[in-house]
Amino acid sequence: MRRRKIAPLVASAVGVLLALLLPQIGSDYYLYLFALVFTNVVLAASLRPSLTCGQLNIGHSGFMSIGAYTSALLAKNLGFPFEISLLCGALLAAIVALAIGYPALRLRGVYFAMVTVAFVEVIRLVAQIWVPLTHGMSGLSGIPKPSILGMTLTTKTSQYYLALFLMLAILLVLWKLESSRLGLIWKSIGMADNLAQSLGVNIAKHKLLAFAIGCFFAGVAGAFYAHFIRFLFPPEFGFLMATNILVYNFVGGRGHFAGPIVGAIFLSLLSEPFRGSPYETIFFSIAMLMTILFLPGGLITLPAKLGGLMWRRRASAPSPVA
Amino acid sequence: MTASLLVQSAVIGLSIGSIYILMALGLTLMFGMMHIINFAHGAVYMLGAFVIYYVFFQGGAPYFAAFVGAMLLLGIFGYLVERGIYRPIKGGIEPTLVALLALSTFLEAAGYPVFGQLDKHVPPVFAGTRNVLGVMLSNERLVIIPIAAALVAGLYLFITKTKIGAAMRAIEQDKEAAALQGVNVHVINGLAFAIGFALAAASGALIAPIFKLDPMMGDQPLLKAFIIIILGGLGSIPGAILGGLILGLIDSTVATALGAEPAFLLSFVFIILLLLFRPTGLFGHAPP
Repeated sequence: MRRRKIAPLVASAVGVLLALLLPQIGSDYYLYLFALVFTNVVLAASLRPSLTCGQLNIGHSGFMSIGAYTSALLAKNLGFPFEISLLCGALLAAIVALAIGYPALRLRGVYFAMVTVAFVEVIRLVAQIWVPLTHGMSGLSGIPKPSILGMTLTTKTSQYYLALFLMLAILLVLWKLESSRLGLIWKSIGMADNLAQSLGVNIAKHKLLAFAIGCFFAGVAGAFYAHFIRFLFPPEFGFLMATNILVYNFVGGRGHFAGPIVGAIFLSLLSEPFRGSPYETIFFSIAMLMTILFLPGGLITLPAKLGGLMWRRRASAPSPVA
Repeated sequence: MTASLLVQSAVIGLSIGSIYILMALGLTLMFGMMHIINFAHGAVYMLGAFVIYYVFFQGGAPYFAAFVGAMLLLGIFGYLVERGIYRPIKGGIEPTLVALLALSTFLEAAGYPVFGQLDKHVPPVFAGTRNVLGVMLSNERLVIIPIAAALVAGLYLFITKTKIGAAMRAIEQDKEAAALQGVNVHVINGLAFAIGFALAAASGALIAPIFKLDPMMGDQPLLKAFIIIILGGLGSIPGAILGGLILGLIDSTVATALGAEPAFLLSFVFIILLLLFRPTGLFGHAPP
């Protein structure tokens, strides 16, 4: 029992230490790659609250897109400092989530999933059609680099540390939320919302809160992405990206907070050699199908499963004759 | 808008609507029985079109043979998907939806290395034009209407008159009770998958000579089919037919007036509003 509590702690401590040391050992390419991996981790982890409530959100990238475009446009056209534009992007994403989520609360399962699918297409089309603002399909370029307190982060190392800091801060907040009373309520809604309601839980309010919190952080991830890549292209935030975010959660495992983190790191790194090509999607979808069919608990259940197999084999094997 | 333009929009709307209806019928049938949305429906539509490209255009087989071949081939594929994906997940709706989503992105992405990066074109099968109420319309679009109507009528008769159709309706009403009465739920679900996939393949095969072919071509009709089944009420077959006709007409008139992208955007805003405020559809069917 104690080992179970210590192992994730040690793993995350080692992970954070390695992440802190990466600029000492890796080239700029690795810093760039890992900054994107951290963005994916934030996206995956921020989908978790609504998944925990049993809401299948297939439109998370739409909220990322809102955060990205809002922050990029505020900084580029109105000269907002990075911290403020990022916050505005994330807040707008959360406000849109509240507006969509409030009436969508009554919907369950398939219906909610379809609203979010339609939503991500609406956001993509708006970004595509609203050419005077977003430059449509020619893409939005010339987005200023991120800055902190007026100091522009020009080096990849400093931008990498910003990504790392944002990810750790967001993960800490999400972890605190999940291990609080609120997290318990979300879990109870996901498992049996009728029962939760009969016990006096205001399920509508909590579903909405979980959805908006997740979308707020998706907006943060989008805003960071905008100032890091410095180029936005509407189809990037389409259906495919939304599916990938779901895939991180399912492949990593939905049963534990670490699931989406493990899933996002594992899949982003493994698919890196063919990023942007059809093979990336092929790889993702096969990983997804294999996980759902053969490892429904996700990657985080793999050690326990392997351990169980070994233990069983040892137990059933005939004892060696001395 | 002149009268002739109106007639033209109406007929084109009817033929596009027929394609949407064929897509939507399979979706709504599968939803009614299994409470799932087949996200891979658009990919199957794409595969149906590519069967026409390879068997009819490259292979030189007669068009109707290729058409039936596409339906059979993808019908079998549908049955296998039920065996290999739906059944092992044992009714978990969320994992099933995500697995079908993964199947869809897999088929679409695999289309690029398999079919090549360039758009494909199938030469016209029914060349020429015809005068309808004083408007010249291409035969290619007109011929879709009777074929789709025949398929819809066939499906309707199958569901209302045959024993398998009765079993499907029984599963739709109550899966456990149907199983207790001796209905083999697995096989019947597999047949529903097969029928849904075959109809999607048929719509892809009908559209192949008209539109360009690429692996992502199924996304738009899939989203249109979503709109239709929500409009008609999820699980309702008459609703899907009426919804398809309405959307086809809106599509051809609004798209002519505003352009394709704004029309598409409008239909999405409409679907979101509809889902949010009247999730049972215009005609009311399955409760959310």
